[in-house]
Amino acid sequence: MKTRHLPRSPKVVLGLGITVFFLLLTIFGPYLAPFSPNDTSFAANLAPSWHHWFGTTSLGQDIFSQTLVGARATIVVALVAGLVATALSTLVGVSAGYLGGFTDDGLSLMSNVFLAIPGLPLLIVIDSYLPVGSRSNALIIGLVISLTGWAWGARVLRAQTMSLRNRDFIEASRIIGESRWRIMLTEVAPNLLPVLASSLLFTVLYSVGAYVTLAYIGLTSTSVWNWGTMLFWAQANNAPLSGEWYWFVPPGVCIALVGTGLSLLNFGIDEFINPRLRESGLTARQRRRRGLPRRVRLGLTPVLRPVVAKASGPAATSKAAS
Amino acid sequence: MSTDALERRAPADVVDGAARPPSGPAANERILQIKDFCVDYGVDEGAVRAVDSVDLHLDRSKVLGVAGESGSGKSTLVYGFTRLLRAPALITGGTAFFNVGPASEGGPNEFIDLVTANEATLRRVRWTQISVVIQSALNALNPVVRVGSLFNQVFKAHRREMSRADRRARAIELLEMVGLNQDRLQRFPHELSGGQRQRVMIALALALDPQLVIMDEPTTALDVVTQREILSELAELRARFGFAMIFITHDLSLLVELADEIVVMYAGRLVERAGARALYDAPRHPYTLGLLNSFPPMHGERQELTGIPGAPPDLSDMPGGCAFHPRCPYAMERCTTERPPLARLSEEDRYVACWLHVDGAHAAVPVELRQAAPTTSSGEGGAA
Amino acid sequence: MSDTDTVVSELEARHLTRHFKVRVPGHVLGAKRIVRAVDDVSLDLRAGEVTAVVGESGSGKSVLARLLARILTPTAGELILGGTPIAPKARRSLAYTSDVQLVLQDPFGSMNPVHQIHHNLIRPLRIHGASKDESRALAESALRRVSLEPPERFLDRFPHELSGGQLQRVSIARALCVQPKVLLADEPISMLDVSVRLGVLNLLRGLCDDERLAILYITHDIASARYLAEEIIVMYAGQVVERSRGTVLVDSPTHPYTQLLIASVPDPSNPLSLVPDIGEQNLTTIAQEGCRFSPRCAHVMDICRTQEPPAFLVGDSHTSKCWLYRDRPEVSVEMPIPKRRGEGATTTT
Repeated sequence: MKTRHLPRSPKVVLGLGITVFFLLLTIFGPYLAPFSPNDTSFAANLAPSWHHWFGTTSLGQDIFSQTLVGARATIVVALVAGLVATALSTLVGVSAGYLGGFTDDGLSLMSNVFLAIPGLPLLIVIDSYLPVGSRSNALIIGLVISLTGWAWGARVLRAQTMSLRNRDFIEASRIIGESRWRIMLTEVAPNLLPVLASSLLFTVLYSVGAYVTLAYIGLTSTSVWNWGTMLFWAQANNAPLSGEWYWFVPPGVCIALVGTGLSLLNFGIDEFINPRLRESGLTARQRRRRGLPRRVRLGLTPVLRPVVAKASGPAATSKAAS
Repeated sequence: MSTDALERRAPADVVDGAARPPSGPAANERILQIKDFCVDYGVDEGAVRAVDSVDLHLDRSKVLGVAGESGSGKSTLVYGFTRLLRAPALITGGTAFFNVGPASEGGPNEFIDLVTANEATLRRVRWTQISVVIQSALNALNPVVRVGSLFNQVFKAHRREMSRADRRARAIELLEMVGLNQDRLQRFPHELSGGQRQRVMIALALALDPQLVIMDEPTTALDVVTQREILSELAELRARFGFAMIFITHDLSLLVELADEIVVMYAGRLVERAGARALYDAPRHPYTLGLLNSFPPMHGERQELTGIPGAPPDLSDMPGGCAFHPRCPYAMERCTTERPPLARLSEEDRYVACWLHVDGAHAAVPVELRQAAPTTSSGEGGAA
Repeated sequence: MSDTDTVVSELEARHLTRHFKVRVPGHVLGAKRIVRAVDDVSLDLRAGEVTAVVGESGSGKSVLARLLARILTPTAGELILGGTPIAPKARRSLAYTSDVQLVLQDPFGSMNPVHQIHHNLIRPLRIHGASKDESRALAESALRRVSLEPPERFLDRFPHELSGGQLQRVSIARALCVQPKVLLADEPISMLDVSVRLGVLNLLRGLCDDERLAILYITHDIASARYLAEEIIVMYAGQVVERSRGTVLVDSPTHPYTQLLIASVPDPSNPLSLVPDIGEQNLTTIAQEGCRFSPRCAHVMDICRTQEPPAFLVGDSHTSKCWLYRDRPEVSVEMPIPKRRGEGATTTT
């Protein structure tokens, strides 16, 4: 593959940091929680204190523990939904884009229909038909969410595939006699990885939102802790009106942070796809050191005049701005 | 990056790092003087020198051909001195004096250094004095803008006083000049053929009657017949308006017909400079010779040609000494360690960067590199 | 006539025609125009010979290459591979692929950037039945045939690590992997550096001579066609306007288009010759009736505008499709038919 550029842009590093943090929380959250989230033995409505970092709910449950434990379900469902939706969109998008003809017409029609149908109402309808027992199953909920989240990615991938289809190396594969499916799998798909990664990130983001919304409305099982359910309980107990900000702010902030982290990571992918967006080989610090303008304007190529030093070797040459 | 490149940065007429503009009686005729021009991509250890200490000059109404292959730095050089390069390109040395005409009536011509010019100066000079026709017209013309609007943009930017009717009239005049019908004004670029798009680019470049027109491989993507038409058109326009031209191309045979003087670039360095006819009939640098031999002839008996073995070097991993020595059939010991300077050949008005032609060379100059240069009435080249 | 006895025709095309329906710009419904991209082209690719097709963009030469490779199906005409006619509507068989290969113009574009070089060489081998162990060895020998040595140095590289010339050699090696009889090269050197072009041309010549390949060399550069080819065919607007063996076409062209082409080539040994400027080849200046070149022809006559000229024999194996030569004999099937693999005596028209 091309030489891996370690992300240098601060945006991307931040995004990566946030995402990794929450992934770790997903794995270790329940172990780190000081109390069980269901434990109602504490005093109710306590503000944040040393003993309860995020305070307690109206039922006397520790909010901090709930937040930590809730991470797992939220993120796992979002990941499952994201992965399944991306897999679906790849299958549909690449096939439509490469095969063309009636296959393309049919698959595009299907994607357009799914795009046009409003996601949330559809989710609510499907969810209400689910047997109550399976509402606690992260996998099932994830699948349901992915049904509404694949269509956009499919369109994007179809467009990308169509532009790839006319590239010379695809024609060369046809010329040597490669079968259509092998071409799609081994020649087209690897070139779509950056777009796929971006699509995955956005789908996961969408799934977090969808899941939290479903939980907030009360359509998921309340026996599984997640941030949406916390918001549900907070709303049900009038937390905003009684000034118990410490109940709904932590889950809200967590959701926002996850979204931010994923979006920032997406910048990194954009920079990877389009090398022009990278900082062009010069970090801000290097620029400042040499007196170069912070932003290179088009039509004004910067000038850097080296001063010849008596020491040997180019590395010893000091540079002064013109 | 070799060390000798940086250490040799103090040429004779540089005072405190600043060269002086041309002066004297011939100065009014000189419109461009570039000295010691260097462009790097990146900084420090990762820096790649794309143009290395190039000297160039151009007189009024003359045509300079810049020949070279990929990686030779020909485009980088030209976009460099006009400050059109994008990041991570950096100009790391040299001066580029451009003649902007006399400050007052009858006075001596003024020169500005494009390298140190600020944005306001550059904007004054761009398109009114220097214009550029770039390589791929399809990419250069905005696909959602009609041709007529392109002309409008140029006039609005530089000639605010023109009225709408004036602008349209001038645009039609320019299109007719390049052999296009005025109904092209209404078209979008993708509705025109490659040759027509290139003509539009040329018309745009000439819109404000500049002194210098730079053409970057304008006919490479075009068919031979269209190329011929465009070149004839250019010759006519030059005769009519008298602008100077810098013509960048990899096709040396084009330049011999078109240019007064040709410079050959290799790996960012200037290796030979001579009058067009002299360079074609009597090349002095082994690379030029190899390049000329790489074009199969249209006449004569068919025989196997060999061209130049190997490939142009990777700029980030240059060989020491002369950049061409790994591919040169006449390479000597000295060529691998010392870089030959661009030196004037005795008795001829031409320059070569090759140890073979330095007095006291240990090897005799091979016969194919010491052909008699043609005597022409234009005064270029002299008898060997 | 002794040389025609030993000449073997590998791939013959007879009256190949390919039309495209194009929507007329500005008309939303209905009105479609037929573009005759390739119109009644016959040629014969022979073992150990290079046939050059010279034309500009729009002449149909790339479409012709794809018709011969059977990536496109012809509207009319037939192909004969090694003496066996190919059914036009049949799908391209693996056997055909292993006999006829195509090399494309852009060396950087014809390699998938995410795969190493060995992938490009091993895939055709595996598709055509080689085992995993054989494939690596065969890939190495293919690289040696195109002078990329030592092969190990190139197999594990990625395309962006190689130069244009090297990549084009890899392209040729890929085509050679399946041991084809016919190699179609669509402008193989036009995107390469000047100093590298001759190397690739000499490689093609070498492959032709040493391995008795039949090579079709498509180009817009008539000088390289003259350098390389035994037979030169000039195409204009989908038709063959002139063809000859040897260099007689370039030395003394007979068709006005060929003359225009040759006069337009930059030739420093002759000063800038005046060429009549009659506009470019685009859809509107190609005549729909009569001779296609008539709108641009300096020698146009009345008959040219109404009737399409046949091909006339203007010299030894030299034909020209122009009414200027109407006093010469007409040629119906355009070339003498050499012996095909498995056939008996030759017949000539």
